[in-house]
Amino acid sequence: MALTLEIVTPEARVFSDTIDTVVIPTVDGEIGILPGHIPLLTQVQDGELRVTKGTVVSFLAVGGGFAQVSGDKVSILAERAITEDKIDEKAVENAMQRAEQAIKDAKDMDPAEFEHLQNMVRFSGTQLALKRRRR
Amino acid sequence: MASTRDIRRRIKSVKNTRQITKAMELVAASKMKKAQAAALAGRAYAQLMADMLAALATRVDESHHPFLTQREVKTRGVLLISTDKGLCGPLNANLFKLVTDIKTPVKFYVIGRKGAQFIARTKRNMVADFTVSDRAAFSEVKVASEFMVAQFLEGAIDTIEVIYPRFKNTLIQESIVRPVLPLHNLKEFVASVQADTGAVRVPHTDDREMLFEPGANQVLEALLPFYVNRNIYQLVLSAKASEQSARMVAMKTAKDNATKLVGELSLEYNKARQAAITQEILEIAASAFAA
Repeated sequence: MALTLEIVTPEARVFSDTIDTVVIPTVDGEIGILPGHIPLLTQVQDGELRVTKGTVVSFLAVGGGFAQVSGDKVSILAERAITEDKIDEKAVENAMQRAEQAIKDAKDMDPAEFEHLQNMVRFSGTQLALKRRRR
Repeated sequence: MASTRDIRRRIKSVKNTRQITKAMELVAASKMKKAQAAALAGRAYAQLMADMLAALATRVDESHHPFLTQREVKTRGVLLISTDKGLCGPLNANLFKLVTDIKTPVKFYVIGRKGAQFIARTKRNMVADFTVSDRAAFSEVKVASEFMVAQFLEGAIDTIEVIYPRFKNTLIQESIVRPVLPLHNLKEFVASVQADTGAVRVPHTDDREMLFEPGANQVLEALLPFYVNRNIYQLVLSAKASEQSARMVAMKTAKDNATKLVGELSLEYNKARQAAITQEILEIAASAFAA
């Protein structure tokens, strides 16, 4: 019995496929899901998500959200998600620098904007860590 | 009969109008494509979130959380999502009809200039108005929804409802009142989300005990505010898609009418010109006979 994994962000359905196992970064640490897992609802943290299908292991960077396991279906609701091959290291680095600079420069910034920038920096960090570690 | 010069002047002005409406139609069409794509892309997300919420709320004691308990409704809180600009057909008028239908005590929160003007002009109780650009970033909408949630928790309002033009397709937008909080009837709510997205999900067949990490209450605490913000954001996206669609259709109708009018006026102009020529020939012939 295989698992179905779907990862949905507000912009798109990033991932949808049958898989063997998945490891999800949660607020309590990583959780590995195998077929037959009991129903689970958990909070997802920024980090890397590991998907195994056959002998192929693929990685995704995800940021903030929730994960649900029900039957043999794993659904992940993420604020941000990107597959490893789509990460553009240069672009991410630049974006991260820009966001950090903006945080430094701004004194009395709108809290919503500030939170957004902080999230961006954190997610950029996740993406870079994922890309570099795999080389 | 109007003089040829008058008719010529009118043809020119109608042509100008046609040019303007045509340009506006094209602008609206391109904005519409973007807005529709955004509204449609968010649907899978909204659906999944409703799904999770349903799974969670049936398994925890819901009476403790203020978002889930039904309290006596003294003052309704209504968020009206209107447009900033006019020229979008009957879109705003339909929304305002729903507003005037509300007879119970109510506080209004408004997105969009047109709605704010209407509420102010009819001297209704408006608490705040917010502006959201055409791009409709999440952070813009979050300000409004968080403000309403704060008021809801304080007890200033007892419900959160949204009046907005729901986007069905390019030609059809229906104005509806959508309850957001409290979430006391989950079945109805999940059904309404399904009707919105048009997708029927298989209900949970897994009836084993559900595990919550770190804990049911923590997950609920995190998911509920998140859900309210996202849900309202999704409604704003839908409203934006409706606005651009309505504007495009209105402008297309205006352009078509202008084209028809130019045709009719040209016909009249040609008739007038022909009549003038005939008249002149008759006069010349008559004077030749007389001579």
